[in-house]
Amino acid sequence: MSIKVAEIKQTKPAPIPAKSRKSPWRLAILFALAAIASGILLTGVSAWFLGAVALAGLGPAAFTFNFHTPAAFVRLFALTKTACKYGERVVGHRAALLDQVRRRTGLFTAMALVPSTRATGWQFGNQDRLADYIDDVEDVDFARLRVGMPVLALTAGAAALVIATAWFASLALAPIAVLGLAIGLMHTWASSRVTRQWASVRSSRRTAGQQIGSALAALVPLKAERAFSSLLQEAFSLFSAAEANTLAQRCAFAFVDLLAGLAGPLAALSVLLAAWHAGHRDDALLYPAFVAFGWLAFGESVQTASRILQGHVRERAARAGLDDWRATADTESSSTSPAPLQTLVLDSIPRQAPDGRRLGDAMSLTLRAGQPTVLVGASGTGKTTLLKQIAGWLGADDGRYTSDGNILHTATRRALSYLGLHDAAILSDTVRANLFAPDATDDACWQAIEAVELRPRIETAGGLDAWITQDVLSLGEAQRLNLARALLSDAPLMLLDEPTEHLDSAQGLRILERVLHCSADRIVVYSSHNEQAAQDAVQITL
Amino acid sequence: MWLSTDAISPRRHQNVLTAKYTARESQAHDNALGPARIMGAAGLRMTLAWQVARTLFRLGFAAALAVFGGRMIEGGTFVVQALAGALGALVLAGCTGLIADRAAARTETELADGLRARLQAALADMAPHRLRTRPAGALIAGLQRHPDALAGLVIGLTAARTMMGIGPLLAALAVAIVSWEAALTLLLAIPVMGLFFALLGGVVRSRAATQEKNFGRLAAQFADRIRTLPTILANHALPCEHDKLETRMTAYADSTMEVLRVAFLNAGIIDFFSALSIAVLAVFLGLGHLGLVHVPGFYGLQLWQSLFILIIAADFFTPFRRYAEQYHLKAEGEAAAKELDWYFVAPGHDAMPFTFEGLDTFSVAELPTTGLIAISGPSGAGKSTLLRMLAGIEPPSSGITTLPQISSLGCDWISTEIYVPSGTLAEAIGWNRNTPARAALQRAAEQVGLLDETLLPGGLDATIAEGGANLSGGQRMRIGIARILLSSGAVFADEPTAKLDAETAALVRGVLSESARQRLVLVATHDERLIETADRHYVLRPPRSKEPVAA
Repeated sequence: MSIKVAEIKQTKPAPIPAKSRKSPWRLAILFALAAIASGILLTGVSAWFLGAVALAGLGPAAFTFNFHTPAAFVRLFALTKTACKYGERVVGHRAALLDQVRRRTGLFTAMALVPSTRATGWQFGNQDRLADYIDDVEDVDFARLRVGMPVLALTAGAAALVIATAWFASLALAPIAVLGLAIGLMHTWASSRVTRQWASVRSSRRTAGQQIGSALAALVPLKAERAFSSLLQEAFSLFSAAEANTLAQRCAFAFVDLLAGLAGPLAALSVLLAAWHAGHRDDALLYPAFVAFGWLAFGESVQTASRILQGHVRERAARAGLDDWRATADTESSSTSPAPLQTLVLDSIPRQAPDGRRLGDAMSLTLRAGQPTVLVGASGTGKTTLLKQIAGWLGADDGRYTSDGNILHTATRRALSYLGLHDAAILSDTVRANLFAPDATDDACWQAIEAVELRPRIETAGGLDAWITQDVLSLGEAQRLNLARALLSDAPLMLLDEPTEHLDSAQGLRILERVLHCSADRIVVYSSHNEQAAQDAVQITL
Repeated sequence: MWLSTDAISPRRHQNVLTAKYTARESQAHDNALGPARIMGAAGLRMTLAWQVARTLFRLGFAAALAVFGGRMIEGGTFVVQALAGALGALVLAGCTGLIADRAAARTETELADGLRARLQAALADMAPHRLRTRPAGALIAGLQRHPDALAGLVIGLTAARTMMGIGPLLAALAVAIVSWEAALTLLLAIPVMGLFFALLGGVVRSRAATQEKNFGRLAAQFADRIRTLPTILANHALPCEHDKLETRMTAYADSTMEVLRVAFLNAGIIDFFSALSIAVLAVFLGLGHLGLVHVPGFYGLQLWQSLFILIIAADFFTPFRRYAEQYHLKAEGEAAAKELDWYFVAPGHDAMPFTFEGLDTFSVAELPTTGLIAISGPSGAGKSTLLRMLAGIEPPSSGITTLPQISSLGCDWISTEIYVPSGTLAEAIGWNRNTPARAALQRAAEQVGLLDETLLPGGLDATIAEGGANLSGGQRMRIGIARILLSSGAVFADEPTAKLDAETAALVRGVLSESARQRLVLVATHDERLIETADRHYVLRPPRSKEPVAA
């Protein structure tokens, strides 16, 4: 296994941030409108032209007929249709991508400020949950491109054609109105149906995923009991249910497409019929023919109706899920500069898991700089919870934490502490960025890497500017890199959750020793399920 | 040929999930795509047949509409048959279209279901050591998405590609009835379009490669930062990461636009030829009607014939557009097929011989039917693997087979990782245990000290959350022990006392040696106190490091 050696190539000057750019939506919509108009005009004018020349060709008018102008228009519309369609795609995607950047950075910040992000285990550490979430974000990101813009263009096209119809063959408005009503009813029917089905597809897929997840977590005991396949059967039957609902959804879409496909041609026939019925003959039929063929061209554009509906339904479902992240945001206080902290007194801290489970009696504790404290206990006894409470990630801000008589509020403790999570992640970024020490010198970085015994590994990888990802590091290497972060942090309150996990005991002790040595003047609390890791720290058994 | 009207979607899951593992196992297998094509063949033929029917009716509609409109304008006659024909053909085209869409949907569903059934069987049979080489999350995300993606490729995209061959040909034939010269003009557009596609394809590929090279690693930065959000918060890096994320996403969006600008030219070419052929044919036909130009095939036609050519000219290019719209299925489906291959590959077996201290041979048959057997040895010696082989979970190798006394009902495996269904404590203990009586459940729960009102209030009716999330490791272990009190087969345990508080560990030791009187209990352990109570003790040697083989 080797890490790819590469440095960030800056081939271009730093891009301009998205928010300072002007949104190109207006231009994109303009292109979309021009594209649909040119499409309608191209077919309409062509048909009118053919009719006109056919009538002229029958008589002496053939030689005086000015065909240059309509022929030029036909060519013009052909070109504008192509160009505008291209412009619509390019500018539309550009607008959507700019929106995407803005929306995603906003979402990132919003999620960072939601209290549950700190309080509970992180659900998006799971790839399946993350993938579902990214799907939702994407469904919202491209909704305007896939739904809003086409709907606007189609509405404008239909409106123009209705006006033209009213002018040249007003009787045709009756069947067109009936058609419009039918499409509206169909849309309402399909929309509610598909929304329901999509919700059910989402929930069955998610439940199936959860079931498979818990079956995989208990793989060996389940296999021993020969119960794994029956659990799989349960989960996969949910997948089948989701698949059946997807099928039902697609059948509804097929009906939408059927009606949408009929709309243009039926309108075209109605216009011709109405014109004939109104007594128009010969030349007088040319403008109705223009409108009729315009409807025919419009019918071509409506063929994407089901995809628009699908995009709409997905957007709504996705938005509902994402809105939860905006609901209750904490306010992040500006971080105070780390000041030395000699003692931290915990006064009857309630012991309760984030899910409300009681973990034990309230706890009082005095933590002192230079005297490390180790929390020992079996899994599930609340070591992580207590560390998060001290770090200000969890629990009420009720003044139970004091230092020299001063109350340390949640925000202050957050700012003062370094919290080494036991499931800390590796960012897809450079080694340097992963150390989270922007002000540290190269020497300091290498010292920290040396102390966690990662030097050879990072050197083969290509040094501090090598790009690393979670999956090129083993669990042990990730843990050691996480400890290097702790070494580089100057926070006066050092909280480490299971710092020796995934390391063999000798190496774990060696590295822990170095970390404790480096933070001799600070308050250090760490947890361990291994009693050997206690060293000469004050031991608290949970 | 790189055709796409929506170039965002092909990137959709690739970055987050799928591309990751294909890079490592890049041997060319065809265990998913080939069989999927065979499974979907009948349905695909059916779908295509209905799509051809739709195309024919659509051509019929065009002819009838042209006659109706043409005769009305040119001849001043109202041809009722043409109107009836147009309406009839339109309705039939709609209905056959509906049937074709539903046939495609049904075929894809059946194919996805079929693929999932195969996946389920493959997963059920897969040995734990192999199954664990993939992160559970990636596996689940794949199971949710890959079968559908592959079905989309095998049915939807294949149908669209085939129709790209059939549709224009049928349209050209229809035009040829009126004017073979006009048909030829339309057909001529295809090779010219092909030439443009080929030229553009090269540019798009090279731009995409440049993007991948310079910006590829920025593709999934948002997902990555969401995944690592708590770590970012713990390191006080939120403002810095926020700015970096914005810069990188902007850079990636800009580079994506570089690719899209060229990629969209493909769709632009289809639009261009479609619009151009309408314009050219309209002008030529118009000149023919005026008698100004005598181009063969465009001269002396009636108006309905010209209108017919004009309507068909628009339809001629529709199959190309449909294919372009679905082109993104190709990348998604192929990536999915590569991923799914992994499930259907029979893995090579690298057998590791087990060697025991003070023993020349180890025979499964020599193991007693009752008693506590402890297996110890340094980590990496293969204790867990040995245990799993004896339990019949891993395929047998090196002379280690499943214990003869283990029936198809299996055995018990105690661990903090046991499966705990959500519901009540009674349901968790009695799960997969032939619905024991409440009194028996009560006894078992009491014996292992699970009825502690302060830690798990509610007794047997205490609520167990999804995945046992509200239980501590010790409580899970106790549920596991309560469960073996309700069964009678062999018991296996892998490091049962590690990571436990002293009280639970003592309880585990007690129950294991108690159970060993009536049944066989096998434990892999370092726990000296547990080893002391064992009836037999085997010590596994670490595997010999592979010696260099002399040539």
